[in-house]
Amino acid sequence: MLKAEHICRSYGAHKAVDDVTISIEDGLITVVIGESGSGKSTLVRILSYIERPDSGKVILNDREIVRSMVRAQRRTVQLVMQDAASSLDPHQSAQQILDEPLKLLMKMDKDTRRKRITELSDMVQFPRDKLCNKVSEMSGGQQKRLCIARALATEPQFIIFDESFSGLDVTLRSQVLNMLKDLQSRLKTGFLIITHDLDTAMFMADRIYVMRNGKIVERLDKPKSLLDFKSDYAKELVRAAEYKRQALQNRKEE
Amino acid sequence: MLRKILHKPQAILGLAMMLAVILAMALAPQLAPNDPNKVDILHKFTEPCEQYPMGTDDLGRCIESRLIYGARMSMSIALPTIIIIAVISTLLATVCAYTGGIVDKVFVIVSSIFMALPPFLVAITLVGLFESKEFSIMISIVVAMWVWNAQVVRTYVLREKTKPYIITCRMSGCSELRIILRHVLPNIFPHLLVLYSTGLSGIIIMISSYAFLGLGLETGTAEWGAMMVNANKLIFTHPELIAYPGLCILFAAAGFNLFGEALRDICDPRED
Repeated sequence: MLKAEHICRSYGAHKAVDDVTISIEDGLITVVIGESGSGKSTLVRILSYIERPDSGKVILNDREIVRSMVRAQRRTVQLVMQDAASSLDPHQSAQQILDEPLKLLMKMDKDTRRKRITELSDMVQFPRDKLCNKVSEMSGGQQKRLCIARALATEPQFIIFDESFSGLDVTLRSQVLNMLKDLQSRLKTGFLIITHDLDTAMFMADRIYVMRNGKIVERLDKPKSLLDFKSDYAKELVRAAEYKRQALQNRKEE
Repeated sequence: MLRKILHKPQAILGLAMMLAVILAMALAPQLAPNDPNKVDILHKFTEPCEQYPMGTDDLGRCIESRLIYGARMSMSIALPTIIIIAVISTLLATVCAYTGGIVDKVFVIVSSIFMALPPFLVAITLVGLFESKEFSIMISIVVAMWVWNAQVVRTYVLREKTKPYIITCRMSGCSELRIILRHVLPNIFPHLLVLYSTGLSGIIIMISSYAFLGLGLETGTAEWGAMMVNANKLIFTHPELIAYPGLCILFAAAGFNLFGEALRDICDPRED
């Protein structure tokens, strides 16, 4: 289990994360939902040890993560960032990008790495003939798949997706989400998905945390319908989503 | 890479001009029709002829031979100088900018001190320090110029290290040293190519201007700048004596600039 306990993080006078406690269970999909500026991305950076909290602890499998353990723990928690293009080194080919974690974290030999790269590209439906291409020669969807393949490379216990599906068109998003759902049920990896899209949250989540102004305002286990939300803020989000859906429906009918 | 170079006219032109200068430098004894330093006062200001294809100067020395040997002299100072500057600036600026914190602050303070010193003032101070004139020129240019290049490299590294892919490299298990060597440097390399190739042309001009100010090589040396100094009193009677070395400096500088710019476009994947 990956757990954040009483995490606080401020930037100057602004409290980005304020006493947040969340847990991500093995093999389940946890979603954190909230509007822009609610502290979701800061929470992600803390959970993936990119940033240290001002106070509070990050606990992985009952052991608190301290600075000296960070590199050794990279294998266990992986991150897929929001903008696929900028999170891939433009100078490297897809093969080199996938090779790095296999070599450095998994300590695999060259032949095993080559096999694993093919396996990973098949797993995320990344075309094998594009493995030698550089990032600028790939489509947005291929870049996203490559990011997911890299995160899967180390067979991590947890993968964090930081707004990874925003900016994708509807078709591509549903393809990626379906693929992830399938992968998750096969690999039993714990997913933490950060999003501001309620539909994505409802489609994917085993557990939803609603975040506002750096605080967790609601936790919902095994959500079945939008009516399950209890907090005022979550209801506001539901209303906004329904309004958007209705507006789209009206436009279609016109 | 070679195929990309051959498909880019700018690169071909720059490469051809660069190769011409390098060939002149390497094969000067074979290419020069006469001894560049042989004074033949009876044949001063000779018109172009079979023996002297570009004529002779005020001391009867073969102009073509002196221009060819001039390439050798200019490049033999400019090339090692730019290599030393490139190594010092890239190493220092990359490590300091990437490490950040107090290390970077110290770097900024030290470089601000160096930047406060005008390059020519540094040159005047240092140019007479060593017995070897060439070595003095090299050291004075390195001391005067490293900081300007290092500041540019620092900016590139600072920009690069905040990019999201640096975080994902860490997540992939890269050490900070590996990130610098395998990710940051290859990504700023195209920019460094332009910086140092334009730097090289700048140094060629600087060596010549040192000579022009009387700070450079001995008067009478077959070097483009020194040739211009010798010819400046003859500018109205024999303007070709100042124009030829001037055009050579322009040719060499333009060649390195053109090739550097073209290589940047070829190497930078974002420019595709």
